[in-house]
Amino acid sequence: MRPLVSLVTWLKGLPRITVVTVSLFLFFGIFGPWIAPMDPSAQDLSLMGQGPSATHWLGTDHLGRDTLSRLMVAANTSLTSVGMVLAIAMTIGITMGTIAGYCRGWVEDLLMRLVDVGLSIPSLIISLAVIGIVGPGYWSMVFALALAWWPMSARISRAVAVSIMNKPHIEALRVLGASPLRIYFNHLLPGTIGSVMVYATADAGMAAIAVATLSFLGLGIQPPTPEWGQMLVDALPYLESDPRQVILPGLALTAAVIGFNTLGETIALNRVPKRLSRRQLLTRRMEVAGWHKETSDAA
Amino acid sequence: MLRYTGNRLQQSVVLLFLASVVCFTLVVSSPGNVAVLIAELRGMIGSPGYVEQIEQEIGLNKPLLIRYADWLGNVIQGDFGISYRTGHDVNADIMNRITVTGMLVAGGAVVATVASLVLGFIGAFWPGGITDRAVRGFALVGASTPTFFVGALVIFMFAVILNLVPAVGFNGLKSWILPWITVAVLPAAVLSRVVRVGLEEAMASPYVLTAKSKGLSRFRIMFRDALPNITPIYINALGTQIGLMTAAAIIVEPLFAWQGMGDYFLNGVRFRDFMVVQACLLLFLTFFIVVNLVVDLTVMATDPRIRRQRSGA
Repeated sequence: MRPLVSLVTWLKGLPRITVVTVSLFLFFGIFGPWIAPMDPSAQDLSLMGQGPSATHWLGTDHLGRDTLSRLMVAANTSLTSVGMVLAIAMTIGITMGTIAGYCRGWVEDLLMRLVDVGLSIPSLIISLAVIGIVGPGYWSMVFALALAWWPMSARISRAVAVSIMNKPHIEALRVLGASPLRIYFNHLLPGTIGSVMVYATADAGMAAIAVATLSFLGLGIQPPTPEWGQMLVDALPYLESDPRQVILPGLALTAAVIGFNTLGETIALNRVPKRLSRRQLLTRRMEVAGWHKETSDAA
Repeated sequence: MLRYTGNRLQQSVVLLFLASVVCFTLVVSSPGNVAVLIAELRGMIGSPGYVEQIEQEIGLNKPLLIRYADWLGNVIQGDFGISYRTGHDVNADIMNRITVTGMLVAGGAVVATVASLVLGFIGAFWPGGITDRAVRGFALVGASTPTFFVGALVIFMFAVILNLVPAVGFNGLKSWILPWITVAVLPAAVLSRVVRVGLEEAMASPYVLTAKSKGLSRFRIMFRDALPNITPIYINALGTQIGLMTAAAIIVEPLFAWQGMGDYFLNGVRFRDFMVVQACLLLFLTFFIVVNLVVDLTVMATDPRIRRQRSGA
């Protein structure tokens, strides 16, 4: 009961648009393939390009496939790929970040310089370069995006790890003679993972865009698996006659991203769990104003 | 000032060197035999001895360090080699394409700068008002819409429904409009937030109170006192956004059937044409390093606080 109550209070602190879009995305992302009214890849060329009707609520595409079902299943595709990308990226990032935060000194300098370089190159270019080398495909997409994404979580986890390492209980553990491994695995790592995961969820929107962009370029998720970016590029030649097929997947993706972006902003501004003072809030907003990259390098 | 510039230049040269190493290793470490791949692409895989001939031709049998030195020497002289797929000279291709991308990014940057300054200023001038809410809404939606969807929407609105400008292709100034809008929406959204929040923060500072007590108008204070104070943050953010716009060219150019660097890079990636990927990647990375350098130096030139702090240390 207790966790449920605290979850509800946490949700109440979020903007309504965030709760609606993110929960819709998660709902269709998890249950999409089961609740889709029709087979998303069943073609019926006699029905191609139809408008909304009782059987096809959002009409059909140029191959006569049911758009509503395809949109629902695409949410699932998007959610699984984003989840996998973030999981791999966070594993790399947290490992690097905690090592940097634990060792400090030249190890930290080296790793953080690497992170800075990674952050200064747009993720699309990194992932395309990786795909160019290993060749296109589902797993190379996930791998390429994870390689483009880990610096962000590495930076956050280093910051968290440093603050944990400066706490008195770590010093007390050292005095007690705890081994470095015990400090790292029992105290540093668990403390870091939690807070980094919260921040990284906020990145999910940008990761979803990246997945859709690669699929749009034909280098990500391959047909017949429905995916929003790929549905959009499929329908693009028919933009004049049937714009609905282009706009619907785009809107679905944009709505999901708006949800995650507002979630990220709320987390970064720390409206939940406690409100900041006006001055603190302004500084924090300045920091998060550029969603894509931090602007402050105040050291 | 001079010392900082020197340090920063040194840093950039080191980064350039690292970028060249990365580009070289990426291609060298690519799985599979490149010579076999070229033979396949040229449709000569069956003929005996052809693979060895290619190995000779591109120097695959030399030691790595020598290959790197050869390659770097050529690159510095502006020779990026020959495309494996088409057999064209990569430099010639790049020369044909680089102006398109340059114009795209430059135009997009101008549109984004003007739009973000105007929107951010309007938003901050009447905080909480209807314009402010509209600007904030634009910032949120603009930053959340994928570039390819923005492109599809503007083509649909301006070319299909209103029939004002050509949808794709390349003729005259008119065909620039849609691509410029497409690349500029996301940076304009992010930068307008930077301006909006930066102005709000600046307007809360003591010097604004002084100016107010002197009886200066709100517009004057905001324009003459607050706006210059956010330039360092703004230029920093603009630099990042220019980098992102270059990446966005990869999406926008195919969408409008343009042939620029983004399209070239994308096709290199699609057909695994390593020489093209390598050359484009190196150029992109060089561009980012240069942009970062220019941003840092400009910020320092415009912000005396940073100048003092950095050259004093």
